[in-house]
Amino acid sequence: MEKRPHALLLKFPGTNCDAETSRALEEAGFSSEILPIACVDEGSLESAQLIVLSGGFSYGDYVMAGRLAQLELERRIGDALTRFRDGGGYLLGICNGFQILTKLGLLPEGSLINNTSGRFICRWVKLERRVDDNPFLRGLPENFELPIAHAEGRFVAPEGAAEKYMDEGLAALVYEEDVNGSTSRIAGLTDNSGRVLGLMPHPERFLWDSHHYDRDWVGDGDGRGSGYQMFKSIYNTIAGEIAHEPG
Amino acid sequence: MDKKLPDQPSSNYREIPIRDLDPEGLGSLSDSMKLSLSVEDMIEIQVYYEAEMRREPTDVELECIAQTWSEHCKHRIFGARIEHSGSEGEEVIDGLFKTYIKAVTERIMKNKPDFVLGCFVDNAGFIRLDDEQAICLKLETHNHPSAIEPYAGANTGLGGVIRDILGAGKGAKPIASCDVFCFGPPDTDPQTIKADDVIHPLGIMRGVVRGVRDYGNRMGIPTISGAIQFDPSYIYNPLVFCGTAGLIPITDIDKEMSSGLKVIAVGGRTGRDGLKGATFSSMALDTESHEEDQQAVQIGNPIEEKKAADFIIEARKKDLIVFVTDCGAGGFSSAAGEMLSEVGGNLYLERAPLKEPGMMSWEIFLSESQERMVLAVKEESMSQLIEIAQIYETELTEIGDSDESGILKVWHNGDLVCELDNSRLHDAPVRHLSSGYQVPSGIDHDWSEDTLSDDLLSVLGDFAVGSREPIIREYDHEVQGNTLLKPLAGAEGDAPQDASVVRIDDSEKLMAMGLALLPEWGKTDPLAMGKGTVDECVRSLVVSGANPDKIALLDNFCVGNPDNPEELGMLVETCKGMAAAAEAYGAPFVSGKDSFYNYFETDDGAVSIPTTCLISGMGVIENESNVTGSSVRRDNSLIAVIGTTDSAMGGSVYARIKDRTRAKVPDTNFDAALSSYRSYHLAVSESLILAAHDVSEGGLGVSAAEMAFSMVAGMEIDLDSLPVNGDLNNVEKLFAESSSRILIECESESIDRIQEIFSESAFAVIGKTESSHKSLRFKSDGMNILDNEIESLKETWKNVLTPYY
Repeated sequence: MEKRPHALLLKFPGTNCDAETSRALEEAGFSSEILPIACVDEGSLESAQLIVLSGGFSYGDYVMAGRLAQLELERRIGDALTRFRDGGGYLLGICNGFQILTKLGLLPEGSLINNTSGRFICRWVKLERRVDDNPFLRGLPENFELPIAHAEGRFVAPEGAAEKYMDEGLAALVYEEDVNGSTSRIAGLTDNSGRVLGLMPHPERFLWDSHHYDRDWVGDGDGRGSGYQMFKSIYNTIAGEIAHEPG
Repeated sequence: MDKKLPDQPSSNYREIPIRDLDPEGLGSLSDSMKLSLSVEDMIEIQVYYEAEMRREPTDVELECIAQTWSEHCKHRIFGARIEHSGSEGEEVIDGLFKTYIKAVTERIMKNKPDFVLGCFVDNAGFIRLDDEQAICLKLETHNHPSAIEPYAGANTGLGGVIRDILGAGKGAKPIASCDVFCFGPPDTDPQTIKADDVIHPLGIMRGVVRGVRDYGNRMGIPTISGAIQFDPSYIYNPLVFCGTAGLIPITDIDKEMSSGLKVIAVGGRTGRDGLKGATFSSMALDTESHEEDQQAVQIGNPIEEKKAADFIIEARKKDLIVFVTDCGAGGFSSAAGEMLSEVGGNLYLERAPLKEPGMMSWEIFLSESQERMVLAVKEESMSQLIEIAQIYETELTEIGDSDESGILKVWHNGDLVCELDNSRLHDAPVRHLSSGYQVPSGIDHDWSEDTLSDDLLSVLGDFAVGSREPIIREYDHEVQGNTLLKPLAGAEGDAPQDASVVRIDDSEKLMAMGLALLPEWGKTDPLAMGKGTVDECVRSLVVSGANPDKIALLDNFCVGNPDNPEELGMLVETCKGMAAAAEAYGAPFVSGKDSFYNYFETDDGAVSIPTTCLISGMGVIENESNVTGSSVRRDNSLIAVIGTTDSAMGGSVYARIKDRTRAKVPDTNFDAALSSYRSYHLAVSESLILAAHDVSEGGLGVSAAEMAFSMVAGMEIDLDSLPVNGDLNNVEKLFAESSSRILIECESESIDRIQEIFSESAFAVIGKTESSHKSLRFKSDGMNILDNEIESLKETWKNVLTPYY
């Protein structure tokens, strides 16, 4: 039997988008497993090609979003995620997952802080893809929509850094208009390897046409939404690599 | 027997001598202990201890009885015998619940076997979704806590109803929430508030919304549906309704206790927060409440509940749960009472994990600390359950066991602190009440047609109608990834919809969730309100695609002072109207709740809320293609109306804006309505309906405008084509809120078939959408009587709440 790429979702107390993210991964072709953090050790990562940190409020996010999850991960597995990436693995952080990856230092330096409005924002946004050949974004058009739902999604970075990320192709996704005060309207970041992506929008909430707020939205005519295309892109990338592995 | 008798002193509990007290003494004991029990209740308790127990009660027992018999837990007014004089003359009603809710549902269940899978007994009502799965719904009020501490009150209001769902059946999965608020107007002049320490409506609104936001969002349950009423009568007693729907395999609905089980507590610890919440909410508020009763408001911790929820769902999937219920009002006393009152068993209070040391027995037993669930499980399941609790990092403690004694025994450090004969425990005396209400004779107002354009803007810009977007966006309404019809949708994603719709994993069916409340109608004609509210709820579900024959309802009442015969009379009339409508529509009540004593002693006397009846409902949508939104989708399509417009303007937003009271309130014709809803559903099933919107608050003018807010096309409507009852002027045609009407958009090619489908109903094509302009135009006698740019109407509508939230 053909080996399906395997995705591992790490779940913290308060993670709450794991089930639909797992569903999205399965739809795209992955086998997926949701692993509560209490069960995670270094060995847990071995079978996975993709590790996903999904949305939610890890430990309530009562201190800076993602901070306690970062500390707990480091306590349990040290820098295993960095080694996972260096060994060819892929990492995806959605919303709270993006916040955690940022805190872990797996993404360019910066922080996700309270939206300028001081509010939680649940709405759909128009996004622009600013990288040409990212393994997570290859199958997507240059402009597409996804829903956001966050209180702490404003990306801030040291003076001049955000502009640098824009120039260097690390700012993989930007909002077409200012929605939360993010510097350079950054919505998603990738790292130098291209194997880590963090984004505030929720691709798992746009798998089908019917997810869109407009009944008359049509994408490619296959009934699939832009979020699905994102999971499919990373699936295709990993499946292609597996197919070329010797043996 | 190794039990110590309660007359031996202990540091954890005390004996309360009542056997020698006279009625006055019993009354003052109830007052000083804040038991909220009447002298009659206290006498009943005295007789029980004198005749049957032959000893004095412990404080634990008295507190326990007070909780159990409280209005909050026992719904004694809905059980009372009422001598009523109203729309049907003089009559004696043997219990509002029995007569207007239970009996109606039982008759409907006979006609629709296999649809309702559980009602009134468990934490929520269940209906069949498909062959394997059921959906359930529960709504609760958290009014008094939200008045005193808006953020924490609303926060725990939602947290509590989510636990109801986790404790429904063997543990349902929460899939959607709704919230309904009644507040004073945000622009209330602070000088007009005639009592100290009352929080201004703006503070209430901001606190309540954030409370709901922070619990629902953290739990990962989409808040998909809601409503807000603004009225000065809610300044002193704001209302907060929170509801949650759940999903469960049909085979996991039934649960039954047996002997020899372990009783375990899961989730949060027990503390002094939330003491006596049930009795507190069964009293009227006054300024003193704001000072004294802070400890009755609990503190919420959604992550604690999220961990417990993950635990319960996992344990249920592994078939490790025999019985589960939540710790709600009454805490362990009600949870253990529910579990152990029939089989009997022991509860050991010293085993309960506490937030603080030194708690008295009654405090542990009665505390309403949040995030606690109680389960009964087989001994052999314990090791697996402990492992699951460790994985999800929630605390699990064995606190008792069930036996065959039929008696609940509560122990604390070896002392038997509470031993009640459970057959007597839940047996509060039936109350006898009298009530009366007559609808005042209606006034025929003259409605001037001189300012229609401004009038439409005023109605769209009124607090009753304006967009709730600033609040809706604070709620994550898309988590779980199944919200297909969102509260705001249409081509620009910000136009209002009727019901909200969630898809269900592993099913082709979907769930619609809708609600309605019309307190303004009830101020004049509560009977008409009861009918109209059920109609509007059913209609919102049908409009969004639900099968009209697969709808179940919940009734939630909030009332002022039930000891006032007129206020009670209005409740009775509301129940009558609601029951008649539900029966006619075949929509059973499967759950409900009531909240009384929503009045406040101000410096100028008592202020009661208007009788408020919230009808919420869940409906089954047969497949995804039936899901129908409320926003215009095409230009050059047709606009048609289903239903008749009547001249009754009572309770309308328009009448309120013009300050006209006592106009006749719309009546509801059930047969005509149901037949048109079934026809509509047929049209939806044949994919003939592009979009549809109910015509409700604000009337046809508002409904048409809201449909046009997708900004896809202009709209032209000819009021001369509108099916009317009698001779109506254009104000009535535009702003009357007659029941049972639906506005639809369809392709012109479909109209012949649609007209055929609606041949038995009041139905007319009244207009079209236009590509040549983006205005909303109404014509009468061939003249444009109203012509507004949709953009400017939308701007007005969108900015009603933005200055305040």
